[in-house]
Amino acid sequence: MMSLATRLRPARGAAIAVLIYLAMYFVYAISEASATSVFAITNLLDNTIVLAVAAAGLTLVVLTGELDLSAIGVIAIANVVVATTSAGVLGWFGSLVAVMLIGAAVGLINGWLVVGLGLQSLAVTIGTMIACEGVALVILAAPGGEVSDTIANGLTGDIANVVPVAAVIIIGVLALWFVFARTRLGIAIYAVGSDENAAGLSGLNVRRTKLLAFVLAGVAYGCAGYLLSAQTGSGDPRASNTFLLFMYAAVAIGGTSLTGGRGGVFGSVVGAGILTVMQKMLFALGAASFYTNVFSGIIMLVALFVGNLSGLRLRRQRGAEWQSATPRP
Amino acid sequence: MAKRDAPALSESKPAKLRARAAWANPELLPVAVVLACAALLIIATKILNPGSSLTQQLSAVLVTSIFLVIASFGQGLTILLGGIDLSIGVVAGLSAMMISVLTDGQNAALPWAVPATLAFCGAIGMINGLGIALFKVPPFIMTLASGITFFGVGLGFTSGLAQQPVAPALQALMSGYWLGVPIPIYLIVGFVIIAATFQNGTAEGRQLYAIGSSPQAALVFGLPISGLTILAYALSGLCAGICGLLLAGYSSAATLDIGDPLLLPTIAAVVIGGARVVGGKGIYVGTFAGAIFLSALETIITVLSLSQGLRNIIEGVIIVGALLLQSERWGALRRWSH
Repeated sequence: MMSLATRLRPARGAAIAVLIYLAMYFVYAISEASATSVFAITNLLDNTIVLAVAAAGLTLVVLTGELDLSAIGVIAIANVVVATTSAGVLGWFGSLVAVMLIGAAVGLINGWLVVGLGLQSLAVTIGTMIACEGVALVILAAPGGEVSDTIANGLTGDIANVVPVAAVIIIGVLALWFVFARTRLGIAIYAVGSDENAAGLSGLNVRRTKLLAFVLAGVAYGCAGYLLSAQTGSGDPRASNTFLLFMYAAVAIGGTSLTGGRGGVFGSVVGAGILTVMQKMLFALGAASFYTNVFSGIIMLVALFVGNLSGLRLRRQRGAEWQSATPRP
Repeated sequence: MAKRDAPALSESKPAKLRARAAWANPELLPVAVVLACAALLIIATKILNPGSSLTQQLSAVLVTSIFLVIASFGQGLTILLGGIDLSIGVVAGLSAMMISVLTDGQNAALPWAVPATLAFCGAIGMINGLGIALFKVPPFIMTLASGITFFGVGLGFTSGLAQQPVAPALQALMSGYWLGVPIPIYLIVGFVIIAATFQNGTAEGRQLYAIGSSPQAALVFGLPISGLTILAYALSGLCAGICGLLLAGYSSAATLDIGDPLLLPTIAAVVIGGARVVGGKGIYVGTFAGAIFLSALETIITVLSLSQGLRNIIEGVIIVGALLLQSERWGALRRWSH
């Protein structure tokens, strides 16, 4: 077995992602004079957090070796729920609790179908994604609704005109992750993802681990929908449609292996940052907006290619460890 | 009760081989169930809509199913290999745009524009296959990424504007009749025969099954895994391309996102048709039944004028339901039918 330290060290992919981020930010900063102002930074981070939180949730599921496409459905429901209730019956806090519960419920359904009934996660979550988008459309058929000012202003501004609220949220997510990754469940998620059979044999409850990963991911999607509502200030059942591609891009760029067991939330958050700063950079450079798509696709493939290389190396190394470990009783 | 012994018998090797050789066999039972459900939906649509005849309803369902029938063949091939193709919607959109731009409303350009468009779409599929087979990029990501990338390229070339004049011959193809039957129905029949023959009657088709059910065994047998993977994705791109041509003809104006609503239903059609999502199982006739079923469902939902929301909920529940049936109950049914 790898030592705990090895497992928790951010993957090589995450380090590369940080470098890419810094490089892109540098280009953006020198080509746009106002890029380093508090306003521009707040704007950049505001654009990042929805994707970052959603990708953070997705990372948990991907780490266990499963896939989850339901995110955009949950974000859509959360968005319309906030838009229809936060300024009325539930208030800002009640609607936050509501969207977290909704996310957890969808995660529970996904997890139960995948773990309890042994269905393919990719196919199941395509089904739940479509159904959730339907629920969102039933709640709010056309864009509209109203997000309470507490949410819309409170989550998008700066604290004392210096610290962007979004920065606090991102740091909070990362802090949660660094604690979570060291808990029993956090470690179990890696173990299940890297070798399900071995994890089961060594006494981990594989099914429970996967189920909880789906539930926590659902909660994260719910929060992402809440943050999206704060950004847009209204509800739109189709606002999340473009997210799916970028969520997986963020996870892949951040160095998380899509077959599980390797990577982490830190990389995914940086990956989300890259996708956002890239748009700003291309815009500042005067490139046509369609280049954003072309760049996202290419960066995603390059990240995967690099990830695959380091994954092979890791597997070889782990194979060697396994061989040296087997003679022992 | 005597049938209880049947499963044991069916597990023996010769019986299994015989079952594989006759590609009809137990897999046709779920297909028949799906087709029966589709028939019920069509009859229900007729009852709800008394002004129309049953043949009218049937031909309406068949004509609108053509896109799904064609695109889900490609999707089915990639799923058979244990992969997936998420670029189908984008490729269909690019194809529709490309044919409109190249022909610019002139039939004269069709003889070279159609092959050029289809070659372009096949090439995108081939790039997907290359990335998956040679660079070992997960199919899901490879096709997603190529989809985003090529969508961007398409956006760059067309600035996202709708392309109005579609060659009249293409429009005539989708709206014309021959011997009182809509032309698309002939196209469907022809396509289904070719597709089913390829997937279940040729050596390449059978090799795809072998790779899907056990890549390791296929490797040991020396099957050309990379070549077949590239072939499957190229065919998927080609099918999406054909679909785009027909979509352009059907709607008489092409937009870049014209194919997007097609993507998820292709997966649904394959799953409803009884294919295993991890690969190695599923016949094209099943996918065809799934496509007809979804088309019938779409029609009845339109007639009931249900909201888009309810429509999505029903579709999602049906996908999950099909997965459930496939995993347990149909397994039992299949054993009994032996």
